[in-house]
Amino acid sequence: MKPKLWFAPIGLVAALAGAATGAMQDVCGPFTDVSPALCPYVLEMYYLGVTAGTSPTTFSPDSVVTRGQAAVFVSKGVNQAIARSSRRAALGQWWTRVDDQISQIGWTQVADYPGLPIADGADIWVPGQVPGEVSRVRASDGKLLETWTGAEEATSALAAMGRIFITGATAQGTLFMIDPAQPVGEVVTVADNLGGGEFGGTRSLAFDGSRIWTAQAGTPFIPIPPYPLYSIAIVTPGSWDVQTITDGFTHPVAVVFDGTSIWVVDVGPPSLLKKLDAAGAVVQAVPIPSVSDYFVRPTFDGANIWVPSGDTHTVTVIRAATGEVVATLSAPGVAGTAAFDGSRVLTGSELWDAQTLQHLGTTPAGPACSDGVNFWFAVESAPGYLVRM
Amino acid sequence: MRGWTLALVASVAMGAGVATAVVQDVCGPFTDVSPAFCPYVLEMYYLGITAGTSPTTYSPEAMVTRGQAAVFVSKGVNQAIARSSRRAALAQWWTTKRPEAIGLTPVTGPTSVASDGVDVWVSAQVPGTVTRVRASDGRVLDTWTGLPGANSILPAMGRIFVAGGDSGKIYAIDPAQPPGLPSIVVSDLPSSSYSLAFDGVRLWSANADSVSLLTPAPTYPWSIVTRTEGFTIPGEILYDGRYIWVTDQDAGLLKLDAEGAVIQSVPVGPEPGPLVFDGANLWTTLLHTDAVVVVSSVDGSIRATLTGNGLNLPNDIAFDGERVMVTSFFEGVSYWRAADLAPLGFVSTGGFGVSPLSVCSDGINFWVAFSQSNGLGRF
Repeated sequence: MKPKLWFAPIGLVAALAGAATGAMQDVCGPFTDVSPALCPYVLEMYYLGVTAGTSPTTFSPDSVVTRGQAAVFVSKGVNQAIARSSRRAALGQWWTRVDDQISQIGWTQVADYPGLPIADGADIWVPGQVPGEVSRVRASDGKLLETWTGAEEATSALAAMGRIFITGATAQGTLFMIDPAQPVGEVVTVADNLGGGEFGGTRSLAFDGSRIWTAQAGTPFIPIPPYPLYSIAIVTPGSWDVQTITDGFTHPVAVVFDGTSIWVVDVGPPSLLKKLDAAGAVVQAVPIPSVSDYFVRPTFDGANIWVPSGDTHTVTVIRAATGEVVATLSAPGVAGTAAFDGSRVLTGSELWDAQTLQHLGTTPAGPACSDGVNFWFAVESAPGYLVRM
Repeated sequence: MRGWTLALVASVAMGAGVATAVVQDVCGPFTDVSPAFCPYVLEMYYLGITAGTSPTTYSPEAMVTRGQAAVFVSKGVNQAIARSSRRAALAQWWTTKRPEAIGLTPVTGPTSVASDGVDVWVSAQVPGTVTRVRASDGRVLDTWTGLPGANSILPAMGRIFVAGGDSGKIYAIDPAQPPGLPSIVVSDLPSSSYSLAFDGVRLWSANADSVSLLTPAPTYPWSIVTRTEGFTIPGEILYDGRYIWVTDQDAGLLKLDAEGAVIQSVPVGPEPGPLVFDGANLWTTLLHTDAVVVVSSVDGSIRATLTGNGLNLPNDIAFDGERVMVTSFFEGVSYWRAADLAPLGFVSTGGFGVSPLSVCSDGINFWVAFSQSNGLGRF
């Protein structure tokens, strides 16, 4: 027996190639009852941890499968596929930070009173409400790259079409745009008539592939008549035409796109998640708990829409295809914003597995987004901070 | 600052550990599922794979038919793929319909595009340049000059290889170096090079009448072995993880062994051109038949011939991990879902794009070269 050979000469490796064998392949791993034709697939199930077989030495390939067993096979298989496809897997980042306190290592100082951030795939964009700035932070190392100015009451960010769009919660309702390929400077105002009124301006936006939708809540919780205007606005990029819709809405606070339809969180009362058609008409309304969080951001996970409520500390998980409520999750740290990273959902300070809806942990957090590796959340303070989770 | 409910960061940790899923004690909507199976059955339900056998039953002891098994597996795979896309983590669930609305990324006369994962590299046959565009924000970073004939691009081994087209050369760019002139990998190819592939060991070039194998070495030029037998007019070449495949306008889709000998010829139809691999199947376009042919990489069998969905002189083809995009000369882009070959629609680029040509994906967006509009469209 040779000692461990850490750096084998190339010629030696080549000589050994082709002689490599799975020591037990002729008997299909631990299983003695699997034919060669089925063996690779059975072994994959075994190696992936999807099944241990029917006994230590049998898989019983000719037995029929019950629906219960099929559920185990499929869900465990899906979980492995999702876990291995994540960029976190390739980077060896298998941890989940669920400390009581996030260490101040890695906090990035950003614009004051940050709102809802967004990732463009490389950088995180953070709107700062006062005095109205947008910070650009590099996701790989957390370095503050740029600070864009002139974004009054900047509240929420969207990355689409190679541009960054920012809502401004001004009395008239503003949409700002940044061309990130240009040198840093002032944001461009592309619309200034979305509606919203004093204290009720726009704080949420979504893109459907051709148009940008914004929600102007009005002032549901400061009922001093006359109510400020509320609306859903549809902005057409290029012409920047604004179409404002009030029919069917009471206090719409947030919009989210599921790949097919736009959905609106309308806090009413009553509180409803409303599905819209392409013209902005309400085609379905799903009851949800009351929501009075200032920042509301539902998230879509590929199958379901997660609507968090800081009032009731619950997340309503709604099947996008049908509008059916598939689960209501409860945890004390749930606040009004949610973010999905491909396998997990962060709602306020509560982290959930998006496949099983299992609770993964609690950690101080806030309005967040994901770049596919980390969640990033904003600390609403002056100075503001962006924190990597 | 206008927050109505401003939770302090420190305060939200209170009460940790009392999170509950309200419905767990009865296994979601199902009353007939034992605790041992419940987590798995619930996942099937949450993922939208099954709604149960009735609103309150899942029937865990019932047998699964092959048909039901097909539904379970394919819906499960679809969810796994959708959630694994980088677009999911970035909440980009849309399909861009009007990339021209706020302008194309300006690049003069783009011929071919390819992504290294962070940047998009764009060749321009005339005047012979390669431009580096940052995918995240579309900023034009660098331009290399002195690549006459620059055609298709292959990022590999940390270098950007460029087929030299009619120059008979292959160029290499070291992206870590300041922009300038490229290195010349070889300058004596037997004929024009239009497409490159890498098999992990050697660089392959599809030439006008042959296929060349180049062996990497510390210094240029690299040694060349050229194979001509079996080839008439090679088009695009790629590596599927096991084999090299090349389209040939006369001979169809050809599978090559490690030395470049043709070991299988798939009669896909007339004039196959661009080629892409989706992890299971090869997709090639038939320019004058307005069709896309999908071929199994396992045995070379034709899985499907796709028509319609806007195909009109199909030009190029790309895969983003979930969807396949085909550009059509007249005038737009077509999408299919790679998992089930379902058409996902057509986006017209008439009126702004003027003939979309080459397309690539960076894993988030498709990037389309519009030569006559001197720009790239992000889809």
